[in-house]
Amino acid sequence: MNFLFGKLTHFEAMLFFALVVSLTFAFLSKRGAAERAKYTLWAFLAFLLVAIGIGWLMYPFSQ
Amino acid sequence: MDETMKTEAVKTNQMMGAIAAIAGWLVPGLGHLMLRRWSKAAVYFLCIGGLACAGLAMRGGVFSAGAEDLFDRLGFFADFGAGVFYFLAHQIQAAGPDVAHATGDYGTRLFAAAGMLNFLTVLEAYDIGRGVEPR
Repeated sequence: MNFLFGKLTHFEAMLFFALVVSLTFAFLSKRGAAERAKYTLWAFLAFLLVAIGIGWLMYPFSQ
Repeated sequence: MDETMKTEAVKTNQMMGAIAAIAGWLVPGLGHLMLRRWSKAAVYFLCIGGLACAGLAMRGGVFSAGAEDLFDRLGFFADFGAGVFYFLAHQIQAAGPDVAHATGDYGTRLFAAAGMLNFLTVLEAYDIGRGVEPR
């Protein structure tokens, strides 16, 4: 497994996490390919936006 | 349908739900595979398995049973949800955990998230097996 995931940067790990969790939630809560695709995209972007937002808010404290 | 047949049907459904739930916990997606939900089975296996393997490859920690403090017990509960990935964690992660670095810490969370996601799919498999199709 190391060849696939061993060298992930933190950002790539976050993207991977957001994608698989969004996809799983879409299959758990929606029916039909179109609805699932829409939900996956929406949840993925929401994860990304929140993560970048929180990172941006925390940045001044790292200085 | 008379009362005895109804009771038998309910019992059969509950048994099927329980078997699907146990199978789904042991191998993510297996419960759905038994219930002929092919796409769900494939997605759950790939997503949850991928998340668990990523967590282990990032050298995340895996909590063991019999922990002293509450946080570790919660961690064990979450990790245990990953089923076969929990039992094979030491084989998959030959180098062992390294939570002294941020990557290892992220790996711990990814593995716990895989377990919690699997618990959600187990509940769904249980409902489908009982004949209660979730929306």
